[in-house]
Amino acid sequence: MRPAAAHRVAVTALGHSYRGDDAVGLLVAEALQGLLPEDVPVLLDRGDALSLLDHWSERDAVVCVDACASMGKAGRVHRLDLSIDGLPPQGAGASSHALGLAEAIALSRALRLAPRKVIVYAIEGRCFDPGAEPTPEVAAAVTPVARCVARDVVRLRQAI
Amino acid sequence: METRTLHVDYLTRVEGEGALELRIEDGRLISAQLRIFEPPRLFEALLRGRTYAEVPDIVARICGICPIAYQMSAVHAIERAFGHTVEGQLRSLRRLVYCGEWIESHALHVSMLHAPDFLGYPDAIRMAREHAEIVRNALALKKAGNELIRVLGGREIHPINVKPGGFYRVPTRSELTAIEATLERARDLAVRLVRWVAGFPFPDFERDYEFVALRHPEEYPFNEGRLVSSAGLDIDISDFDRQFEERQVPHSTALHAGIRGRGAYLVGPLARYALNFDRLPASVQALAREAGLGPVCRNPFRSIIVRAIEIVYACEEALGLIAAYEPPEVAAVPLTPRPGIGFGCTEAPRGICWHRYEFDADGNVLTARIVPPTSQNQPSMEADLAAIASTALEEPDEVLRERCERSIRNHDPCISCSAHFLKLSVLRP
Repeated sequence: MRPAAAHRVAVTALGHSYRGDDAVGLLVAEALQGLLPEDVPVLLDRGDALSLLDHWSERDAVVCVDACASMGKAGRVHRLDLSIDGLPPQGAGASSHALGLAEAIALSRALRLAPRKVIVYAIEGRCFDPGAEPTPEVAAAVTPVARCVARDVVRLRQAI
Repeated sequence: METRTLHVDYLTRVEGEGALELRIEDGRLISAQLRIFEPPRLFEALLRGRTYAEVPDIVARICGICPIAYQMSAVHAIERAFGHTVEGQLRSLRRLVYCGEWIESHALHVSMLHAPDFLGYPDAIRMAREHAEIVRNALALKKAGNELIRVLGGREIHPINVKPGGFYRVPTRSELTAIEATLERARDLAVRLVRWVAGFPFPDFERDYEFVALRHPEEYPFNEGRLVSSAGLDIDISDFDRQFEERQVPHSTALHAGIRGRGAYLVGPLARYALNFDRLPASVQALAREAGLGPVCRNPFRSIIVRAIEIVYACEEALGLIAAYEPPEVAAVPLTPRPGIGFGCTEAPRGICWHRYEFDADGNVLTARIVPPTSQNQPSMEADLAAIASTALEEPDEVLRERCERSIRNHDPCISCSAHFLKLSVLRP
């Protein structure tokens, strides 16, 4: 009897490297080099999560990493399992031309393109100024988050 | 005296940061303002001192949805200043990349931003739950447009392959034929989109706009043509300043534009269509008639049909350009800088995008001026707003607000593109 094929899993990293703590998703993507199985792609998105829907539709599970607004403690990490936690409330959206992560997940679900399992790591940022470097508190979260993501990927490949 | 002020602090489903303000006194509308408070962008100032070769990549950053419009207006202005004209397949490739921009921009607005207004949904996500196939098709259309921009521009957003004189690299024939099947499917989806939006309920509302668009002797316009209007204007693009004027208003970081002596005018799909209907292929004209459009449409709500028609046109035009494509011998013709002034005006998805650059002998930018379509349309959008609000003054605020927002979304404003720097006056005793 052949072993069951591994589930198709991807990591999605969102952010912009010119906007301070917004870069944290991209930094986690860099830190994941060498930590993931070869067939697990890391998809980078720099602002328009709409473009990710096609990639997600081909996956059984996706782990997303993004910065979020500060709720009091820069660098604090929130792990959301969207099959349990549900989506955070959606704002009106500042731009019509680019969707945020929550909106993209909601749209992919409405279109029945969403992976069965979606896990989101949201890292609280403090400074999103143009041209700023990531703050030390947020930079300190990069390696621990990358390790958590890698563990999730291994687990998701085996069982959904 | 009873005063009622309606504020819409953040307009949704338009690009950039804008707001509305209505003042109603004793049941009469006193003012209707589209307030644009998007921060100043400063592009014209930061272009000064840059060499001409850098201009297309810098102006592409003005907009993530219509960067090709800025690049095309810039390269045509530069070439005109230096006395060059790009012909043949390089010219065709420029039309082709513009097709990609119209497809992706119009598909996004028609299906994701505008359609929810007619079906009673607050946004595309909630519309997608009941119209999933429509939204999936819209995403496929947008992807087809993006694919054209990626192949010709190097990447979908803020492309980097356009240069004065042509391109840094031109595609092989096989790279373009690989997109044909995608574009054929996109054309079929666009035809279905036209038929779908044609069935929407449209308010019985028309305005007597003065339409302004490019007009070319043979083509539906992208990059070239004279500036014409429905009131008889017919000028070279270099005469823009003689006929048009921009002015600052306190409530907007976007300059307001007007025709000298006449005022507000409208650019964009309604204008382009009305002034160039005879330049559309017979098949597209027939589809427009099937969708209930005549050769002129003055109902801004029906602009959704015109945009869908333009997607069909862009798909057909792209397929024709690809079928006729032979890679040119050079990716770009060499340019020799010289001192002078150049003008460029092309048809962005939202209407004419006019550029003027002054260069020194080495090709460095001395001055730059960019007039985007949304700032040109602002006075007309406010006039629409006043007209539509006037018919609903007795309605509750929520109803009035919804109608006002719809009146703005009819024109797909790109507020981020339009923001300029307001002159700052400091008065000291």
